[in-house]
Amino acid sequence: MAAYDPRVNTGITTPQNPPPPPPPPPESTISDMPSTTEAVDTATAVATGNNSDTPTDSWKLKFCTVCASNNNRSMEAHLRLSTAPTAYPVISFGTGSLVRLPGPSITQPNVYSFNTTSYNQMYEELEEKDPRLYRNNGILNMLDRNRNLKWGPERFQDWVPGLPRLDHISKGDKGALGTEGGVVDVIITCEERCWDAVVDDLMNKGNTLNRPVHVFNVDIKDNHEEALVGGNAILDLANRLNESAMTQRKMHGAAGWENGSGAARLSFDESVPEILAEWQEKHPNLPALWTLAWL
Amino acid sequence: MAQSTEHVVDQVAQLNAARSLVLGDSALYPQIVNGILPIVGANARLELRRWGADFLAETFASPMLATAQKQELAPTVLQSIQETLALPETDTAVLSSLVQTSASLYPLIFRHIVNHPEDSKTWETMNAVKQEILRKMDSFPCPAKICSVKFLQRVVQVQTPGLIADPRRPDQNETSLAVVPRNHPLLAIPHLEAEASGLLDRLLGVFQEETSDPLIVNATLNCLAPLIRTRQSIANKIIQTILDFFPAKHVRPPFTPTVRVGVKSMERTARALLFNVMKKNPSHPLMGKMQAYIERLMQSRLEVTEDASRKRALPIEPTDGLDNAKRARLDAMTPPLLKIPPLPPGPTSYDQLFTLTQDIGLSSFDVKQLPPDLVVKIAVPLLAQVNPSMLTQAVDAIRNRYETITKEQNLKRQQLHQAATAAAADEDDDYEPDYEPLDVGADASEEAIAIAAEDAELERDLVSLGAFVLPQPPPLTEEEAGDVGRSAVSRVFGMIDAVETTPSSAQSKTQQQLGFARLAGSTFDRDAWVTLLTRLATRAPAGLEGGDKSKGEVATGRRQPTISDSIRETLYRYILEDFRARLKIGITWLNEEWYSDRVRMKAANSERGDEDEEPTVALFYDTWVLRLLDGLLPYLDSRDIKVLVRFLSEIPEVTIAITQRVASLAKDPERVNLTVQALMYLIMFRPPAREMCLNTLEDVYQTYEESRPAAGKVLARWRPQALPAPAETAQASSTVAAPAPATPQAEVQAPTAST
Repeated sequence: MAAYDPRVNTGITTPQNPPPPPPPPPESTISDMPSTTEAVDTATAVATGNNSDTPTDSWKLKFCTVCASNNNRSMEAHLRLSTAPTAYPVISFGTGSLVRLPGPSITQPNVYSFNTTSYNQMYEELEEKDPRLYRNNGILNMLDRNRNLKWGPERFQDWVPGLPRLDHISKGDKGALGTEGGVVDVIITCEERCWDAVVDDLMNKGNTLNRPVHVFNVDIKDNHEEALVGGNAILDLANRLNESAMTQRKMHGAAGWENGSGAARLSFDESVPEILAEWQEKHPNLPALWTLAWL
Repeated sequence: MAQSTEHVVDQVAQLNAARSLVLGDSALYPQIVNGILPIVGANARLELRRWGADFLAETFASPMLATAQKQELAPTVLQSIQETLALPETDTAVLSSLVQTSASLYPLIFRHIVNHPEDSKTWETMNAVKQEILRKMDSFPCPAKICSVKFLQRVVQVQTPGLIADPRRPDQNETSLAVVPRNHPLLAIPHLEAEASGLLDRLLGVFQEETSDPLIVNATLNCLAPLIRTRQSIANKIIQTILDFFPAKHVRPPFTPTVRVGVKSMERTARALLFNVMKKNPSHPLMGKMQAYIERLMQSRLEVTEDASRKRALPIEPTDGLDNAKRARLDAMTPPLLKIPPLPPGPTSYDQLFTLTQDIGLSSFDVKQLPPDLVVKIAVPLLAQVNPSMLTQAVDAIRNRYETITKEQNLKRQQLHQAATAAAADEDDDYEPDYEPLDVGADASEEAIAIAAEDAELERDLVSLGAFVLPQPPPLTEEEAGDVGRSAVSRVFGMIDAVETTPSSAQSKTQQQLGFARLAGSTFDRDAWVTLLTRLATRAPAGLEGGDKSKGEVATGRRQPTISDSIRETLYRYILEDFRARLKIGITWLNEEWYSDRVRMKAANSERGDEDEEPTVALFYDTWVLRLLDGLLPYLDSRDIKVLVRFLSEIPEVTIAITQRVASLAKDPERVNLTVQALMYLIMFRPPAREMCLNTLEDVYQTYEESRPAAGKVLARWRPQALPAPAETAQASSTVAAPAPATPQAEVQAPTAST
C-alpha cells in the first residue's frame, strides 16, 4: 500500500465556514495545495507569461471517483488522485443502496448506511468485533486509509451537484480543495453497473446545471490488489486528461486571447476519445467506457 | 505590465474571497453579483472574464440560490453577457461558460417576461443572445458547441408545453409554454412552439448526420431524458429518432481505437437513455421497439469483433444436416426424415451417385423419353411444393456421397503413386483400415478413370496437390510411450486447473439433478476430469502392468515407473498442494484405488488354477492412503478437525496403520485434541473401526499425558475398564471388547465414491 499522509488536523480544524471571515489567509497557509479558484490562477499564470512566481499547474480538472460502496476502489483512486504530485481536487461516492463490507461469511456482510456512518465508526466497530479477521482480510487497513482521507462514505444518488462543499474542506477531507463549488469535470466509476447507475442518475437529476461532465468507467475487480492496480491506472488517465485540458487553456491564453483564436485546434473535450483509446491500449485489462453527460 | 499583473492577481484574490463568501451564504449573491459585473464585464482582461464567466455559470446553476432571486438578477447579467458575446468573445473557456449561463438564464428570463409583459427590452436582449448562439453554434470551438447543445435543449424544453400541476398557482408550475397566457403581448405561443419544433429538429439532427461526432451525440443523448420525461408532445418523436440511430453505421471505415471508443460510448449512452425511459414508464407504448433496439445495439458488429477474443467460440455443430439428434433440438418442428440408402459397393456411377430412391422402377426410368414441355409442366408445380428441409437433406446426402468418393479416389491415386515410387514400401498396405484392399488392383486406376473420366481430370487440375497422407510414424519404444503417456496425464491435470477457475455453481446444480443415474465423467467439468484421472490410474492398466511383474521385481524396484504410478504420484502431489480444497479429489481417488484392489483380488481369486499357488495382487490402496495421510498430517493445524474427520470418515477402509498415524499427532500437545476428536468420531460413527480406534485411543491415553482429560472422557463412555481408577480391568476387557486386531477385511464398507 502506498504511504498515507498523516491527517493534517492543525490549521484546518479552524474553519472559514460558519461566519464569513476574510478567507484568503487560511487558504494560502495550506502549503502544497494551491488556492481554490482554479480558473483565475491559470489565467494569471498565463498572463504573466514567463513570470514563474505562480505555479503553472494551479488550474486542474476536478475529479469524482465512484464505486459500489465508496470504500475500496473509489477510495483507493481518491487517495491516488488527491496525493498525486498534482494533487487533484477529488470527491468520491458509492452507488449502492448501502455500504457493504465483507463479514465473517459471504452471507453475513457488515452493512452501514451511506452519509451517516463515518469510516472511523466502522473501523472501531469491526476492530471490536473480530480484530484478527478484519485485519487479515484487509478491511481494517482499508478503513484506516479511508478515515484518513475523508469523513465517511457518500452516496452518489444523494449528491446534489452544485451544492457548496465548504464543510468538507473544514473537515479536512483530502482532495476537497477545489471542490467547494460542488461540481466536477470528470467522473470515474470503477464498475460498469456503477457507470450505468451514474449516467442514469444524472439523467434523473434533470441536468439543471447545464454543465458538461465526462463520465468514465474503468472496470476494476473489487479486491485490494486490483484496486491498487486500478488506482494507478485511474491516476494515469487523470494525468492525461488534465494535461490536455491545461494545454488547451494555455494555448488560448498565449496565442489566442484578444487576437482571435486559430482555426481548428483540438480542444480538451475533443481529445477525450483519443486519450481514452491511448490509455486503453496501455491498460488492456481494465476495459473502459465513456460518455459526455450533464450535471 | 508587471504592475497590472500584480493588480490582476490582487483582484482575483479578492474575487475568490467574494466567491467563498457566497458559497457559505447564498443570501449575499445579489450584492456580490452586482458588485463584480463591472469588474469582469466585456472589456475586462481575459483572466477576469474567465473568472466572471465561471462565476456567473456557477451562480445561476447553484441549487442554493432561490429561483426568485435568480430571476431578479437575470436581466442585469444578461446585458453583460450580450456585450461580451458581441465582442466577439474568442476564448473557449469564457465562451463555454457564457453559453452555460445563458442556458440557465433562458427559463428565468422567460418566466420573468411571462410575469412582466412590459419588459420588452430584456426579451429583446435574450432573443439577441439566443440568435447569436444559434447562429454561431456550428462554428464554435468544440467545448462551446457542446454547451450550445444544452442551450438548445433548454430552449426546446421551455418553448414546449409542459404539464400543469396546479392551474390555480401558476408560479408553482414548471417554466414552459403552458404557463404563457394566450394574450401575452411579447410571447406568441404558436410562434414560439414552431421555433421550438425547428430547434428540436436541429437538436436531433446529429442522429442523421453521415459521420457522427461522439461528443455531440453523447451530449445530446444525455440531455434528452428530461425532455422525454416532461414533454409528452415531443417524447415519441425523440424516441423514434433514437430508434433509427445506429452508431456503428455513422462512422467512417478506418476503425481506429479512437473511433471504437466513440461508437461504444454512443451505443452505451443510447442504451442508458432508453433504459432510463423504460424504467420511468414501464408501460410505454414503444416499449417493445425500445427493447428490440437495445438488443440490436448489443449485437452490433463492433461489439462482436471486440469481444470475440474474450469469449469462447461456439461449440462446433454439424452443419451437414445429417445429425438429426442435433437438428431436432434446434428446430421447433422436426422435419420429415429422408431415408438415404447406402451406395452399392464397388465403383459408383453418376447414376448411382444421384439416386436416392430405392424404387427400382423409378430409378430405371429414363426421363429423356418424355418431351421437354411435359417435363416443364410437371417440374414447375413440383418444385413449388418441395419441402425445403427434404431438399436440404437430399442435397447434403449427395454432397456427402460425392465427397466420400472424391476422398477415396484421391487416396487411391496417392497409393498408386506411392506404389510406383517406392515399390518396397509394403507397410503402406495396412495403413488404410477402411479401404477395401480388393480395389487396389492393377486396374484400379483404369476403373477410377472409367468412373468419372472428365470429372477426374477436372479434379486433378483444381486440386493438383492431391490429398496429403501422413506417413506412418515409427513404432514407439516403451520409454517413449511412457513419456507420451505421462505428458498426456499432465495435460489432463492442466484441464483440471483450467476448469477449476471457472465458477461451477451452475454446473454442480445440474449435476445434483442427475443423481445416481448419471454417468461418471460425462459432464466435462472438473469432477469429470478428476474421475477420468483416478480411473486412468487405477483401472486402465489393471492386468497390464502388474500382470507379468513378479513379486521380486516389485520388491527390488522397477526399471521404469509405470504410467499409472506416475499418475498416482502426480495426483498425490496435486492434492497435497492444497489439501484442504482438494481433499474431495483425494477421497475419490482412494475409493477408486480400494475398489480396483477389490476387483483385482476377486479376479485373481477366480483365475487361480492350482490351489497351492497363492494369487498375488499388489494392493495400492494401503500404500497410497498412508502416503497421503503422512503427507497431510504435518500440515494439519489444531483447527483442521473437519479436514481430518472428513478424510477418515470418507476413505473406504480404516486400518491399524492409519489409526496409528492419527495417534502420532498426539505427540504435539497442540494437536492432541485433534487426535482424540478424530478417533472419537470414528468410534461413534464407524462401528467396524471402533475396536481398532479404542485400542489406539487407549494407547494414546497411556502414552501422552496431555491427552488424558479429553481421551479420558471418551474412554469413560466407550471403554471404562481402560481407565485406571476403578480397578476392574481384567473381567471387563473380556466381556466388552475382544481386543481382536481388526484386520483390513473386517472393516469393509461400501465405498462412498459414485462409480
